[in-house]
Amino acid sequence: MGGAAGLPLVKFGWEAMNVKRYIGRRLFQLFLILIGVTFLVFLLMYLSPGDPAQRKLTAGGVAVTEEVLERAREDMGLNRPLLAQYGSWLGRVVRGDFGESLNDGLPVAGKLAKGLKNTLLLSLTSLFAALLFAIPLGTYSAVRQHGAADKIISFLTFMGNSLPNFLIAVLLMYFLCLKTKLFPILANGSAKGLFLPALTLAIPLFSQFTRQVRAAVLEQLHKPYVAGARSRGVKESAVLVRNVLRNSLISIITVVGMAGGTLMAGSVVVESIFLWPGIGKLMMDAITAKDYPVVQGLVLVMALLFVTVNLVTDLLYHKLDPRIWDQGEETS
Amino acid sequence: MKRGRKRASAWLLAVLMTALAACGTKAGQGETAGKGTDAKAGGGETGGTSGGERTDGEDAGGEKILNAGVSFNIASMDAHLDYNGWYTNVYGVTEELFKLNGNYEVEPWLAEKAESEGKTWTITLKKEAAFSNGKALTADMVVRNLERAAEKNERFAWLGEYEMKAVDDGTLTITTPEVYPTMMNDLASPELAIMDLDDSEDIDNNPVCTGPFVVSEFEPKGTVKVSRNENYWNGNAKLDGAVFYYMPEDDTKQMALQSGEIDCYDFVTASAMEIYAADPDDYNLTVLPASRLQFYILNEERLEAGVRQAVTLTVDKEAIASFLQGTVTAAKGPFAESSAYGKVTVPAVDLEKAKASLEGAGYVLNGNGFYEKDGKELDLNIAYYASRSLDSLAILIQEQLKEVGINSHLTCEEDPDATYIATGDFDLALYCMIADKAGDPYYFIDSTLRDGAYFDVGGFDDPECEKLIDQLKYEIEPQKRAELANQIVQRAIDDHAFGYVGLFNKVTVTLPSVTGFAEHLPYDFYGIDADSDKQ
Repeated sequence: MGGAAGLPLVKFGWEAMNVKRYIGRRLFQLFLILIGVTFLVFLLMYLSPGDPAQRKLTAGGVAVTEEVLERAREDMGLNRPLLAQYGSWLGRVVRGDFGESLNDGLPVAGKLAKGLKNTLLLSLTSLFAALLFAIPLGTYSAVRQHGAADKIISFLTFMGNSLPNFLIAVLLMYFLCLKTKLFPILANGSAKGLFLPALTLAIPLFSQFTRQVRAAVLEQLHKPYVAGARSRGVKESAVLVRNVLRNSLISIITVVGMAGGTLMAGSVVVESIFLWPGIGKLMMDAITAKDYPVVQGLVLVMALLFVTVNLVTDLLYHKLDPRIWDQGEETS
Repeated sequence: MKRGRKRASAWLLAVLMTALAACGTKAGQGETAGKGTDAKAGGGETGGTSGGERTDGEDAGGEKILNAGVSFNIASMDAHLDYNGWYTNVYGVTEELFKLNGNYEVEPWLAEKAESEGKTWTITLKKEAAFSNGKALTADMVVRNLERAAEKNERFAWLGEYEMKAVDDGTLTITTPEVYPTMMNDLASPELAIMDLDDSEDIDNNPVCTGPFVVSEFEPKGTVKVSRNENYWNGNAKLDGAVFYYMPEDDTKQMALQSGEIDCYDFVTASAMEIYAADPDDYNLTVLPASRLQFYILNEERLEAGVRQAVTLTVDKEAIASFLQGTVTAAKGPFAESSAYGKVTVPAVDLEKAKASLEGAGYVLNGNGFYEKDGKELDLNIAYYASRSLDSLAILIQEQLKEVGINSHLTCEEDPDATYIATGDFDLALYCMIADKAGDPYYFIDSTLRDGAYFDVGGFDDPECEKLIDQLKYEIEPQKRAELANQIVQRAIDDHAFGYVGLFNKVTVTLPSVTGFAEHLPYDFYGIDADSDKQ
């Protein structure tokens, strides 16, 4: 089963697995997850103190009477039992209607579409930029283990991992916008304005990826097949690219798959600072206002995204190393 | 082997250099674009601006565009919905029948005058008042606007109970079930802005109004651009337009001002104030006590008079204001001292007298240095929420109380209205709200001091006060109203039922070239007008 040089190359093929059955099972799980997550979030928001009517009417700092509040609660349907409220929300969603924001009356679907588009653009740009630098630098750092370059890269990635997003954002803004005026502070969704928020999100990701790539490549470099290939005179670059990097991909894909959470968490802060109109900021505002329909819509979309990313990651695992899935199938 | 590693290193470096080169091109492009200036009303893509510094009043195209950073955003330009009118006013798009001035007085705006006779108010409109489409303002349109606001906004549903009718094109009457002295003040509410309901085809994005500016681009929950209303009824706006950028982060606003991307912003933080105050040549900082009040309620059902008095004598408002570094002004009563209804007196801080008050109530100091009675240590529950500096306030009050021997613990709630305000489970409750929303004291007094009011949760009960509040409700004469209000508030202070700690300052910073950003008006809902300018 070896490659041209007799090395244990990963076999790329879809035989011996029932992809459709697997995906079907995961989609069924997705359905249960979405019901569970949305109900849990709805329950938590229902049980927490305060209600959207009160938040909305006193947003300007003006007191209102209980009578006015009660009327608003009635209009918003907040006086109904929990299950009735959740049921009617779910019924509308099934029909493709996400409803309107309780806070400002705008359609939730429109808010989600706009926010999601911007957040995906920001997240994918950051992810791409992080990978673009992390793979070569992580590999180089591993190849040059204990060398000066390795130490510099390790120090920089340590710093990148340690700095909180808001500090990175403020520092970038200070040096690149205020001092050198290379970029505008007011991003506001413009193409040029994408650079700094994307860079802010990319720095911790890059640091995380670089360390992971370095660790994965180092692990492979110490495997006997590398020593064997070298002893047989296979070019170092061929060993590195065709074998080492390829066999490190599983670790890299794992960390990339997990980056979704980092990106979502980071986007809340970054979007606020750089005025990037994405779902991070939307989520914060909706939670503060106890805006159920918007929060529920966002939870639904995020759960979908997470499950999809996980599914894609699992499929890629199998594509790269069918043994992983086969073992999983056997045990399940 | 060594040679192979070198090759691999060279290969990887090549990839890296290519990537870096690509990045470098991007940065270079950024630099070139960054030196440009912006087009009319922010121009560019979706409100984006360049990184270029603006040093004079003229933007690209020779137009005077004011760029402002604001801490709020709205989903619709329909002034009748929610609090939207506050912001459509700030944008200079909407106007009301009356407005509030810097002396906390109401004055005519679209209306010429208002006269009351019994339960009926007769309002005469200014003849020249007109919408941006050139159509004259009519009484019928005003009535329809008020009816619509009552229908669309829960907080103004009370208007629907009144009989409103247009007598002729320039006169309308409003008849109320009872005498209604504050009609003019209430009609100054920005939610009662007047729009052309017939010609506002897209009222959510581009209503036709009477202000000196019209909407040129509205992004829901985002940037708002306005341009001069060429048909403005009350003169010509000095600015060609303005852009209001929604900027919720303080650091962002500060750096945008320093880089010249914006010309002004309000709600300036203490740390930023320090920076601007140190550089008066480059920044104009305006600080004035506004209408948002920090106050505490003492629970009379749990704390006897001697303890409440001790708290009043201990809480040092000046020290608190000093700690909050200019963001608040120490208050005596709930209203600005410069207003006619802000004339009350409070006892000076006196720790010895506070201790004597506690001892007079039967408390003795224990071994821990705190007062106790019948073996039970006095331990106040200070309830607060972490907003409007109330978290700092809670800690400062706790420390000050400790100085006289009153122990306390802090309870932080996310939602005060659903917790301690609803249940009354507190000894000392902190709250922040707008005390003066319309140039009259009745709203705050009625909300806090009347028996059974929303904020009367500390058990304050004073029959004499009730009588005075009833008189205030129907009193027409402004001077007499102010006197009544002062008497009522004084009774609450003397009963140690409430402590009015600080009035939030309205802090505005502008570049020296900018004037007229409502920096001298104590209300949040005024912004640019026809006199706003940028040299």
